[in-house]
Amino acid sequence: MTLDVFLFILRLLFIVLLYLFLMQVVIAITRDLRKTATASENSTNQAPPVVGHLIVVDSGPSNILPGTRFDLSPQTTIGRGPTNSIQLVDNFISSEHTRLWFRNGLWYVQDAGSTNGTYVNNQPAREALAARFGDIIQVGFIRFKLAQ
Amino acid sequence: MQANMNSGILRRYRWKELGLLVIPFMILILELVQLRFAQVFQSQITVISQPQQSIPINTAILPSLSYLIPVFGLIVALLLVNLLLSIFFPKADQLLLPLVGLMSGIGVLMAMRLGPQVGDLLQGSRQLVWVILGLIICMATVFGLRNMNWLKRFKYTWALLGIILVAVTIVNVLRVKNLNSPNHDQLNFGPLNLQPSELLKIFIVIFFAGYLSENRDLLTEGNLRIGPIRLPPLRTLGPIMLMLGISLLLFLVIRELGLALLIYGIFLCMIYLGSGKLMYVLSGLLLFVVLGFIGFKLFGYVQIRFSILSIDVVNWQNWSLATQDFARNGAYQIVQGLIALANGGVLGAGFGLGHAGTFVPFAQSDMIFTALGEEFGLAGLFAIIGIYLLIIYRGFRIAIEASDEFNQLLAAGLTSIFAIQIFVIVAGNLKFIPLTGLPLPFLSYGGSSIIANFIIIGILLRISYNTAMEREGLA
Repeated sequence: MTLDVFLFILRLLFIVLLYLFLMQVVIAITRDLRKTATASENSTNQAPPVVGHLIVVDSGPSNILPGTRFDLSPQTTIGRGPTNSIQLVDNFISSEHTRLWFRNGLWYVQDAGSTNGTYVNNQPAREALAARFGDIIQVGFIRFKLAQ
Repeated sequence: MQANMNSGILRRYRWKELGLLVIPFMILILELVQLRFAQVFQSQITVISQPQQSIPINTAILPSLSYLIPVFGLIVALLLVNLLLSIFFPKADQLLLPLVGLMSGIGVLMAMRLGPQVGDLLQGSRQLVWVILGLIICMATVFGLRNMNWLKRFKYTWALLGIILVAVTIVNVLRVKNLNSPNHDQLNFGPLNLQPSELLKIFIVIFFAGYLSENRDLLTEGNLRIGPIRLPPLRTLGPIMLMLGISLLLFLVIRELGLALLIYGIFLCMIYLGSGKLMYVLSGLLLFVVLGFIGFKLFGYVQIRFSILSIDVVNWQNWSLATQDFARNGAYQIVQGLIALANGGVLGAGFGLGHAGTFVPFAQSDMIFTALGEEFGLAGLFAIIGIYLLIIYRGFRIAIEASDEFNQLLAAGLTSIFAIQIFVIVAGNLKFIPLTGLPLPFLSYGGSSIIANFIIIGILLRISYNTAMEREGLA
C-alpha cells in the first residue's frame, strides 16, 4: 500500500466518522424527544390537580380579605401580571413575584425576582426553600398559611 | 456510605455525553495522524518531483506519541469537564459538550495546519490554549451563575458595559485611524488582541432578554395607532431603540458591517420572540432595507462589497479586462476562496493536502469555511453545517423548556447569535451576501471569539440544569 492510497483511506474514514457522529447525536435526540413526549402525554391527560391551598392570614396593606383561599396546582406562580396562576393586584406585589412547585410531597418556594421579597417562616426565599403544610409564606407584605 | 456516594455518582454520571465524546476523540486523533502523513507526503513529492511515482509507507514516518500531545490535551480537558458536570450538574444538557468539543477540536487542528502556511508556526498551540481557557471559563460560568435573576436584575449594568465596550473600540479606531486594515476593531493589550465586539453581543442579548421579559405586556398590547398599524408605546421601546441605535451607528462609523448585521438580526429575533408579532419583524426588515440603501449610497466600501456579488466566477474565461482587474484587487479574497472550494470537490483534497492557506487571504479566520471546504470537501462541509444545526436545535430546545420568560428569551437570543453569525459568514464566503469579517463560531482562529462562544455555551448549560432541577425536584 502506498502513502497516497493510505491518505485516501484516512480521508474516507474521517467523513464516515463525522456522519456516524451526526447519526449518534440524532438518535440521542429522537430518544430524548420520545421520552418527553410520553411524559407530557401522561401529564396532559388530566387537568392540573389541586394539591394545596394558600389561606390569607394577614392581608397587610392590600384589600384582600383574610381567610381567602387560593387553589395551588403543582406549578403555581404568584404576581401582579395577568399571566400568573394567582394574580394579586397590590402595589407591593411585583408583576412576577413568587413561584411554588410541588415535588415528592414537599412544596418548594422561590422568589421570582420581586422587589419586596418572598419569605418562608420569615426566611428570605431567594434560593428555593422547602415548605410544609402549616408553614407561613409571606409574599410582599401579605402573609399566607400553606394548607392541604 | 462511601460506596453509596460512589454508586450515586455512577448512576447520575453523564454516560450519554461520554458516549457521544468517543467519536469526536477518534476523529481528532485520526486527523492529527493524517496531518502528519500529509506533511510527509508533500515533502516527498517536492523531493522526487514525480507525482505519479508511488511512495511506500514505512514505520519511520509514523508519528510519535509526543506528536499527538495537543489532541490528548484537548481530550483530557473535555473529559475533565464531563467529570465536573457529572458531579455538580448531572442534569445539564448532555449533547452540547460533544458537539462543541468536536467543533473546537477541528478549529485547533485547522489552526495547527494553516499556521505554517500563513507564517505563524505557533498558531495551533495558541488556539489550543484559547480553547482550554474557554472550557475553563465555560465551567466558571456554569458554576458562577447561581441565580439567573442576577443577570436580569442588572440588565442596565450589562447595557452600560456594552456601551463602554463600543466606546473603547471607537476611541481605539479613531486613534489608529486605519479603517481599511482588517483587524482595526481589535484592542491590543500587550500580546493579546481582544475583540470587544464578541462580548458586546452577549451583553446585548442579556439586556434585551431582561428588558423584553419585563415589558412584554406593553409590547404585545400596542396602544399607539397609526391607521391599521398598532405600535407599542414609544416609551417602552425607548431603551431598546437607544441601545440598537448606538450599536448600529457606531459600527457604521468604524465600518463593521458584519457586526451591525449581527446586532440587527439579534434585535429582530428577540423582538419577535418577545412579542410574537410578525408585524414588528416586517417593519424592522423594511427599515433595514431602507438603512441598507442609504448605507449603499453613502459608503464606497459597501458598494464594492455588493459589486463582488455580481461576478460570474464560473464563466471566468469570458471575463472582461475590468472584471479581471477587479478579481485581482477588490474581489481577490472572495474569488480565491471560491477557487479553493472548487478545488475541494465532493470528497475534498484531504486534511493537510489543500493549499487554501497559501492563496486565500485570511484563510485561518474570515475565510476558514473555504479552507475547510477545500480539505474536507462538500461532504465534510455538510457534516459541519449539520453539527451547527444540531447545536442551534439544542439551544432552542433549552429555550422552549426553560421555566420563565427571561430564561427562555436569553437562551433563544444566545442561540440566535450562533444562527445569524454562521449564516452571515458562510453565505459571505460562498458569495451569496457581501463578505463581512465575522468569525465562524469555534472554528475560526481567534481567542475572543472562542471565549465568548464558550460563555454562551456555559449560560445555556446552566439554564438547562435549572430547568431540569425545577422539573424533577431538588434531589
